[in-house]
Amino acid sequence: MNVIEIKNLTKNYGKARGVIDVNLEVEQGEIFGFVGPNGAGKSTTIRTLLGLIHPTSGSAEIFGKSCTTNPEVRKEVGYLPSEVFYYDGMRVIDLLRYSASFYKKDCTKRINELAEIMDLDLKKRIDDLSFGNKKKVGIVQGLIHEPKLIILDEPTSGLDPLMQQRFFDLIASENKKGATVFLSSHILREVQKMCERVALIKEGRIIKFEKMSTLQENNFKRIKVEGPSDLDKTIFDMPGVSKVENGGKTATFLFRGDINRVIRKLAQTDVSNLSIDEPDLEEIFMHYYSKDG
Amino acid sequence: MNMYLHELKSLRKSTVIWTCAMIAIALVYLSLYPAIFSDGAHFKDMLAGYPASIRAVLGVTLESVTTLLGFYSMIIGFVALCGGIQAMNTGMSMLSKETRERTAEFLLVKPVSRAAVVTAKILAALTMFLITDVVYYAGACVIASIVKQSSYSGSLFFMISLTLFFVQLIFFAIGLVVSVFFDRLRSVLPVSLGTVFGCYIVGAFIAAGKDDWARFISPFRYFDYSYIIQNSRYETPYLITGAVIVLVSIATCYFTYARKDIHAVS
Repeated sequence: MNVIEIKNLTKNYGKARGVIDVNLEVEQGEIFGFVGPNGAGKSTTIRTLLGLIHPTSGSAEIFGKSCTTNPEVRKEVGYLPSEVFYYDGMRVIDLLRYSASFYKKDCTKRINELAEIMDLDLKKRIDDLSFGNKKKVGIVQGLIHEPKLIILDEPTSGLDPLMQQRFFDLIASENKKGATVFLSSHILREVQKMCERVALIKEGRIIKFEKMSTLQENNFKRIKVEGPSDLDKTIFDMPGVSKVENGGKTATFLFRGDINRVIRKLAQTDVSNLSIDEPDLEEIFMHYYSKDG
Repeated sequence: MNMYLHELKSLRKSTVIWTCAMIAIALVYLSLYPAIFSDGAHFKDMLAGYPASIRAVLGVTLESVTTLLGFYSMIIGFVALCGGIQAMNTGMSMLSKETRERTAEFLLVKPVSRAAVVTAKILAALTMFLITDVVYYAGACVIASIVKQSSYSGSLFFMISLTLFFVQLIFFAIGLVVSVFFDRLRSVLPVSLGTVFGCYIVGAFIAAGKDDWARFISPFRYFDYSYIIQNSRYETPYLITGAVIVLVSIATCYFTYARKDIHAVS
């Protein structure tokens, strides 16, 4: 069963682009990554999904229902916005209780549990909290009702590395308990670590949609060549090579395709050192941005 | 229910302040009444010396100004001005503050419909207006019974006081409908103050001319106090106009708010 189903979703803000013809499916129980630079349309997609904004055309559904016509499906959704803002003059615990009151569950135990994990002082007033601590309130707030779908929009901004780690552990354990996770981010490390499948979005369009493993494999190699003297630049003029950085004696590039072709080519050259690595997602990602756009 | 209680809590402080302000107005003016009554002839002479249009602007009816009800109907004008500002301000800020303070992403992703959010907010505001008015009315009654020089009709006193609630309703509804169309306002106070004062001043100058159709422009002129005192009832056409404004505004608010895009932090 698909927890999230987005079909031909287009959203324009007047003349400005939001997203164009986005199609996306997230299956139950998976951790899905949604990656793109700022302004690519990640938040627009999420906000449409949650019913905060209305699609220009197409549809965005959660558990088979649109949030606009069936607001009660949001009972199973926990959302962490990229920037959290809460009512002034409330204490953390008041806000969490207010939030819990929408779900008609007793969440007291869960609040304390989560607050302990995230090291959050429940007695403090929200106005007095730092950005990072407000973010923690957001995290706890999004998880108190044990949602079946967790939507995270740039979740780690403002959190220190220790908290980021705890946060990801928390999300992972929720996922083990059966929650589906939709993680939007421009930080690829996060996505790489967590997600099974990933969609790349650029300028409002989904440009790639793959399993994390295929994305990483996909015959992409980062190759670094060192020669005894300056390398002949023409040897890299072959299909599948991209992002060449040629610095005299050493050259690095990304290669996609049959690895034998590179090896044969390199065999004709005098090489003093050679390394072939798995590229990280960032490089693959940049590759898509520079080429497919 | 939870949203309603939350809204009540957030309106608490401002309601207390507005209620105190209204009672203070009634107290200050009504405490002048004994002096005016005892020197009624001079006071009337003085007012008669003003041009008729100025008297109309001030809401003074020469014949009845030295009776308690006549004097009170001048004061209620100021109280209603106060209530109008309170109501329009509340109406304008209720929905728009969620966007302005960016709490919409908290509230509107909860499993409740937009209509339910609007309903909770409207009910909370109405509750607060009722509390304001009941407390004000109780206060005004006590003050009036202290300063009265002869007996007066309690039911007319109530009818005059009730216009405060009508004025609040109308400005609240106008505030609501304005806010769903202009939710990117940085601050609502200048708009609500401007609108309510504008209506008040326009109303005051229209009253000078007494054009019946022109009175429709300003909600403050929907209630002619000397008419109420004479006939013990409100003027139906204006009452209906007020009701239409309220109903249309609230319906528009529901309709528009449900279809509105809640924009991200920009």
